[in-house]
Amino acid sequence: MGMKMKKVAWLGLLAAITLVPGAAAASSAKIRLYPDRVDIGAFFQGVEITLQGEIPQGAEAVVEIQGTATQQELLRKGRRGGLWMTVGEIRVENAPNLYLLLSSTPHVPQLNGQEPPWGFSALRSRINFRGALQDQEKDRFFQEFLKLKKSEELYCALPGALKTSNSPGGQMAFKGACPLPAKVPPGHYQVRLYVIKDGKVLEQKNEELVVKMVGFPALLATLAYNHGAFYGVLAVLIAIAMGFIMGFLFKGKAEH
Amino acid sequence: MWTLYLPIAGNSINILLLFGLGAAVGFLSGLFGVGGGFLMTPLLIMAGIPSTVAAASDSNQIVAASTSGTFAHYRMGNVDFKMGILLLVGGVVGGTLGVQLIKVLVALGNADFVIKITYVVMLGVVGFYMFLESLQSLRKKAVVVAKRPETGRSSAYARAIQALPWQMQFEKSGVTFSALVPLILGTLVGILAAIMGVGGGFIMVPVMVYLLRMPMHVVVGTSLFQILFTCINVTIMQSITNHTVDLVLALILLVGSTLGAQVGAKLSRRLKADQLKILLASIVLLVMVQILVSLVLPPKLLLGFKGGH
Repeated sequence: MGMKMKKVAWLGLLAAITLVPGAAAASSAKIRLYPDRVDIGAFFQGVEITLQGEIPQGAEAVVEIQGTATQQELLRKGRRGGLWMTVGEIRVENAPNLYLLLSSTPHVPQLNGQEPPWGFSALRSRINFRGALQDQEKDRFFQEFLKLKKSEELYCALPGALKTSNSPGGQMAFKGACPLPAKVPPGHYQVRLYVIKDGKVLEQKNEELVVKMVGFPALLATLAYNHGAFYGVLAVLIAIAMGFIMGFLFKGKAEH
Repeated sequence: MWTLYLPIAGNSINILLLFGLGAAVGFLSGLFGVGGGFLMTPLLIMAGIPSTVAAASDSNQIVAASTSGTFAHYRMGNVDFKMGILLLVGGVVGGTLGVQLIKVLVALGNADFVIKITYVVMLGVVGFYMFLESLQSLRKKAVVVAKRPETGRSSAYARAIQALPWQMQFEKSGVTFSALVPLILGTLVGILAAIMGVGGGFIMVPVMVYLLRMPMHVVVGTSLFQILFTCINVTIMQSITNHTVDLVLALILLVGSTLGAQVGAKLSRRLKADQLKILLASIVLLVMVQILVSLVLPPKLLLGFKGGH
């Protein structure tokens, strides 16, 4: 009986697609980023990425921007003898170094009968906590981890940030701005658009955002990471030279 | 406008803010002969710099400030090189011992407790003693010119340091005692400094004043000379092992701090030794209270980043 119903539904959907020309285009949602390449130069102070695209009429959009999964060692604070201090280390595994979420609805859309692959609760199931904590404390420390990341502006949920409007092709256009903080680590970021209708994912589109250090910061970072000893000596020499120069300048001033 | 990207810290920051921070801490450095790491690093972390980068870049900055300060004090005849080198040798030995001690403490699982308590106790004892002593002598001078009565304990200490072998005369400081004294005291300060993760200037200064009986002005110059070498070592080591020195950050800070250090050194010449001591004692006590408060009040977050002082 259930199978039959499903079949009918599928046939209906197929008919709708073939009958309504506008709906045929619905199978290709689009997303574009402006810019899709971010250069970190000497004066970089974060940037706003504009997300633009199209989804079928009546659908909802969720856009996820996430970086590579990393492992991070954090310190757990606790109370010992009435005083607050570090009581152990917690290793956070498989957490993306950046996680931004935008949606076209005032609340982050959910799916019927299953957990959506987006949002902080989806992150919770992916991230592992090891070290100085018990199993039942993991939810609490996930919340603490979120707070820490949000305070750094590296994790952020912006429901309703994508504004929709009717587009000429019978589709719905969406547009939204997403702040990329100055702290964004250089790397490749996956941008994923989910198209949701009636509690189901209709479609998924992937794009890439590249963040790269260029110019002076890139040169300095290369020196620091690949030629540490030279970089250290250089830093010391510059500091000593500056100390002496300032000393001489002041001596000159004092004598006048 | 006025913001620069710091490639190692991985964040952008206002240049004027950094310059101001540098100038303020450099001023204290030139005035009291402390590196100022115990003030600068927490301030940088508050400004959004990762703690490991803040601590390492700060030592690079201190190299510049203490060069500038040592140079200024040297011209005024305030650096006792002989004493400084002996303290430095002791400091290096103590630093190495201290790092091993921390490894043991970390393995035992209560490193942070020991570090925090050492901090509060050291700062508290040093601050209170210096504060009371200088207050007393300021008052005495105002009432009647009288020689400070030597207590039995300190004369025993004086006899002990006179009894040690390798007696040496330190002309600049105007004292004569065994070369072992600065070596041993340098080692002790080095151990404490390594445990607390700081340069140790604010422990070294009181040690020089009260245990080595050096005149305050020579103390400031000599302490800066010693800090210079400690921080050169730290900067190069951090660059090689952790890649945490941000040259852009250090450069902006050091422009401010070298300027501040010159002004501080000039002012230290004008102030009386007791006034200098009481000011330093107040700052040390303030820092102690701040740490104590952070120990007593619950933190905003139960998770924190590793590294830093």
